[in-house]
Amino acid sequence: MKKEDTVKLISAEGFEFVIDKEAAMVSQTIHNMLTSPGSFAERQHGEVTFPEISTTILEKICQYFYWHLQFASGKETEFPIEPELTLELMMAANYLHT
Amino acid sequence: MVPTKTTPKSSKTVDSMPPHTPNQTNEPSSLPTRRRSLRLASIPNSDPPQCDAGDDSAATATAVRVSNDPNSGPTGGAFSGKGRRKGRSDDSPTVTVKLDDSVKGFLNLRSGKKVLKRGMEASQDNAVTNGDPGSGSAKRGRKTRTQKSQEEEEEEEEEQICEADVDAVKIEKQNIAEGLEHFDSGNRGKRKLDGHAVNVEVGSTVAGARKLSREEKGKSVAHEAPLENGSGAKLHSEERNAVPVQVRARERSRNTNNNNNNGNQREHGSNRMERFRDIARENALRFAHFTAEEEENTNDNSVSEPEVEHEIEDWPGPFSTAMKIIRDREKKDFQTGCRPSERSLVESIKWVPKGNQALTSGKLLVPSSLQELCLKILARNVDNIASLDSVPDSLRHRLSQLLCDSGRITDHFLELLVGGSPTEIRLRNCSWLSEEQFTKCFQMCDTANLMVLQLDQCGRCLADYVIHTTLAQSRGHLPRLTSLSITGACRLSDIGLRALVSSAPALRSVNLSRCSLLTSSGIFHLAESLKPLLKELYLDECNGIDTELVLPALLELEHLEVLSVASVKTVNDDFVKNYVTARGHNLKELILHNCVNVTDASIKIIAEHCPGLCVLDLMHLEKLTDVSIGHLTNRCHALHTLKLCRNPFSDEVIAAFVETSGESLQELSLNSVKKVGYHTTLSLANHAKNLHTLDLSWCRNLTDNALGLIVDRCLSLISLNLFGCTQVTDVFLKGHSNMRLQIIGLQNSPLLQHVKVPDPHQGALNYSSVSMDCV
Repeated sequence: MKKEDTVKLISAEGFEFVIDKEAAMVSQTIHNMLTSPGSFAERQHGEVTFPEISTTILEKICQYFYWHLQFASGKETEFPIEPELTLELMMAANYLHT
Repeated sequence: MVPTKTTPKSSKTVDSMPPHTPNQTNEPSSLPTRRRSLRLASIPNSDPPQCDAGDDSAATATAVRVSNDPNSGPTGGAFSGKGRRKGRSDDSPTVTVKLDDSVKGFLNLRSGKKVLKRGMEASQDNAVTNGDPGSGSAKRGRKTRTQKSQEEEEEEEEEQICEADVDAVKIEKQNIAEGLEHFDSGNRGKRKLDGHAVNVEVGSTVAGARKLSREEKGKSVAHEAPLENGSGAKLHSEERNAVPVQVRARERSRNTNNNNNNGNQREHGSNRMERFRDIARENALRFAHFTAEEEENTNDNSVSEPEVEHEIEDWPGPFSTAMKIIRDREKKDFQTGCRPSERSLVESIKWVPKGNQALTSGKLLVPSSLQELCLKILARNVDNIASLDSVPDSLRHRLSQLLCDSGRITDHFLELLVGGSPTEIRLRNCSWLSEEQFTKCFQMCDTANLMVLQLDQCGRCLADYVIHTTLAQSRGHLPRLTSLSITGACRLSDIGLRALVSSAPALRSVNLSRCSLLTSSGIFHLAESLKPLLKELYLDECNGIDTELVLPALLELEHLEVLSVASVKTVNDDFVKNYVTARGHNLKELILHNCVNVTDASIKIIAEHCPGLCVLDLMHLEKLTDVSIGHLTNRCHALHTLKLCRNPFSDEVIAAFVETSGESLQELSLNSVKKVGYHTTLSLANHAKNLHTLDLSWCRNLTDNALGLIVDRCLSLISLNLFGCTQVTDVFLKGHSNMRLQIIGLQNSPLLQHVKVPDPHQGALNYSSVSMDCV
């Protein structure tokens, strides 16, 4: 993956997830951060920090991004979610508009 | 003669009988189930069996009641009388009332429904309890002994007639529908209901013999019905929407029918049919029922309409400009001298569906959002949620809505919602909630921060005494409550409302829809306490409130922005005039849905006095004419939502409205505005750029081309309702280019999608923001 095509998402504990920009754009919030004409710091460095989202949740969210892309391109599968994570995941998804 | 079963039951006093919840009548009979043919063989062709004239009072009660029937023809005709054939004779020498049942106060109909006898109805309004619908067919085994004898009696009468008809049945089977058409001419208004019901019943596939019997019954009823109230073949079975009125009609027909039964048993075949038809023709006029549509077609109306219309077109203003544009457009597009027909106009619309229909798989793959996935999982595991702390209100609302709609909501979830110090609690459906649970939850609830409380359909749990122990525990118990919705609180009286209002001094929005016990004095108190604050008031279907009496109270509410008096029967032009002239300048939303007495005069006043009106609901106001739309076009420039349904407006007038106001229009409903067609299509396509919700249900003049044009040109359109638009084909459905569009109401749309759901992000008030400072 070339650097220009990727984005780094950083969790509350400091874990860094490097994913495709296309995947990250599934989240409307991240999409706005990265494409808006203003100068978000995120845009310049290609990094977004989420101090409120824990690592496990952020990992799941990244998995969701890729699942979303696959589904839209024809591969219809189910996205598994562990029940324990659901509440936090929902709140994170709400924040990320995804 | 069939032995009569006379096990007398203890008579219940009418007053002590509580309203009934549906119950099943599954009591086994002590008699073996007998075949129809056997019974036929054992019954002589004579008078219906006598029964004991034991209880004189009951008998006379019913007899007296019964004797009034033949005189109440016209009113009877207005009801879609069920035409139950088994009548109680009023002037035959034998009293054929089944007295055990009359003593008990119930009649068990064949369908298993229990119906209060007419003598009892005077003192008790709700008379019908729904028995097991499945027992509609002659399953004798399900009836009790006492009931059975009555049923038997009835069946015998039927059979005697059926016996006569057996020969002619096959021919007449097909003629049932046509037979009913005979009465159509006389009974147009009712026909709509009746015809439909008959189709259901005739089409029902039950085992052969039963089908025959049903059709026989249907036919027989059809013949006899006009004799008392022209009800057609409204069978007693499978009718779930019985109403006391219909019960009375049914009883009445039962009583007068028996006369005919006695005479008819001896006649056979087509002679009878002829005789009935003649009688029907004679009596039809008495029972003819005018509908609004018919009224429209009378000459008087058609003469006055064009005159008035020309008047409003003549006055300078946006409406006349728009009408001119429309007429010119029509002339331009059609060079022929004569006015083109509506069909040819609409067919002339040119629209090109997108070419690659073959390529699209027909279904756009849209993955669910992560939030939706999570919500579904949470809904399935509600009881495992430990706490909703830190979950934002919008998510709580979405979860609550999902749970209420799918029936998965539990007491545990309510406890979660009231836990902590919640700011908003929304429950769209509280019918599952018991009083005890409600009391328990809301006694403990910390309401210091509660701003929005929605407890819809709370009739079961919300009564006056419950309010006193929970929401109105102390004065000012709900200090920050801005928005309160307690629809369906049918046990809430003025006193309870008073208590609520005194505990919520900051209320700005109150929804009291379907709180049927409230009267104008409750509203007076509301107005007194909340005079400067109240911005939104919903009084849908509060028929205990007399609009004349309540008007002064409403006038006191100085800042009211939203007023809904939907389905309140007493709303008329005077009310609208008086209210709107005084308070119209602040009004942003006015809902007159189903206030059928409203006419053009009201709309004129509204147009003149409500410059800021944003939302207007005129659904089911069938007395309005094109003039109303003219007034609205001229004056109401802020209107972004207009809801019409079954109004008799013409295509041109709607088009003129859209031409003028189209840019600001966001939501438009033209449900059953049948004349909509060419002009409206073009106006929408040209001007409705911000329209996001459109309802064109039942607008059958619109072809695929027309819809395609609308949908492709209205770039903001997200939701389109097309219920009843059977003329739409795949040419439109697969050929339009609007990717975001959701079409509701045709074959593949999920149910309930069209039900309007509140925005979970919506604040407490529709039009204002709430500031807590002025409390």
